[in-house]
Amino acid sequence: MVQINLPENSKTKKGKYFKDKTGSKNLRKVNIYRWDPSIGENPRIDTYEVDMDNCPSKVLDILNKIKNEIDPTIAYRRSCAHGVCGSCAMNMGGKNGLACTTSHAEIDGDIDIYPLPHLKVKKDLIGDLDGLYKQYQSIEPWLKSSSNSETTEIIQSKQDRAKLDGAYECIMCACCSTSCPSYWWNGDKYLGPAVLLQAYRWIIDSRDEERKSRLKKVADELKLYRCHTILNCTSACPKGLNPAKAIAEIKKMLATSNL
Amino acid sequence: MESKTPLSPHIQIYKWHISSLVSICHRITGIINIILITLICLWSSLLLFGESSYGNINFFFNSFIGKFFILSITWSFSFQVLSEIRHLVMDFGYGFEIKTTKITGLIVIFGSLILTVVFYLIGKNFF
Repeated sequence: MVQINLPENSKTKKGKYFKDKTGSKNLRKVNIYRWDPSIGENPRIDTYEVDMDNCPSKVLDILNKIKNEIDPTIAYRRSCAHGVCGSCAMNMGGKNGLACTTSHAEIDGDIDIYPLPHLKVKKDLIGDLDGLYKQYQSIEPWLKSSSNSETTEIIQSKQDRAKLDGAYECIMCACCSTSCPSYWWNGDKYLGPAVLLQAYRWIIDSRDEERKSRLKKVADELKLYRCHTILNCTSACPKGLNPAKAIAEIKKMLATSNL
Repeated sequence: MESKTPLSPHIQIYKWHISSLVSICHRITGIINIILITLICLWSSLLLFGESSYGNINFFFNSFIGKFFILSITWSFSFQVLSEIRHLVMDFGYGFEIKTTKITGLIVIFGSLILTVVFYLIGKNFF
């Protein structure tokens, strides 16, 4: 159901203010969502003054700088720092993206950093993605073929392989799914753009022999048709993929094939 | 069960862009249009009750509020139709690139305003 307001325990309040101690003239204010499970209070927004003269170009660099130099208690996920692992997905300046590939120069004014939207928060910028992973598992993201083809290599033509371009590159960072209003309000049933893009990837794989049953499985009022082409997903994807188009292609396949 | 873990902010913080704006307006105008079509049906069925009851509504439509009301209806219908065409094209699998969605979204927004003005001028026998 559409729920505009946050529950009482999720409303944010003003937090601490960390004044700059370096004496730099080139300062930017960074507002970060903080919640500590051990305290049990409402989440707060802490503000940090960051010296931009000694800070590299990405939002992740700001976070690292804050953690190393100002406030070591802040928690966030990060790993590769090159836009490959998808760990540092978060909401920066009102848009989802990877902190390691989002340049802070793109954000006007104060830099607001929140966890991915509409997730249960584990701590600070870390959201709980268990639901999404369960949905990913539900589409059975592996090659399915009958036993007689299992012993030999399954050949795929270059044209068939090319169909997977734009679908296989997904790193499951959840930027798209958590940007989708439909997914916010029906996330328990609607699969969301990330998982549907993967469903599409396996439906169109020429080596897979379960195409029909895959399509049947996804053909559901709530699982698939909650996509209303809001296109937050496509504009959020840090890898430049197009989940909205993939969902439209699935809808098209369902409309034109008789199952 | 009231969970202790908070829910991260969503619509409160997420930035609007053209296609999300068009999408929500499409829904809102859709609901408005359903109500309005019912009203228009009621208005035309007032013909059955004779000239005077029909004239009452006519009088309302000729007042300032009535005219504003009609212009709003015109915009709401124009928006809905243009946005529906955009949706139809998308159902065929076209126009999903970020740039295209921005352009088509802007066409829907400004097109609906232009159509409203055009309909107003047609009503005024301008052409």
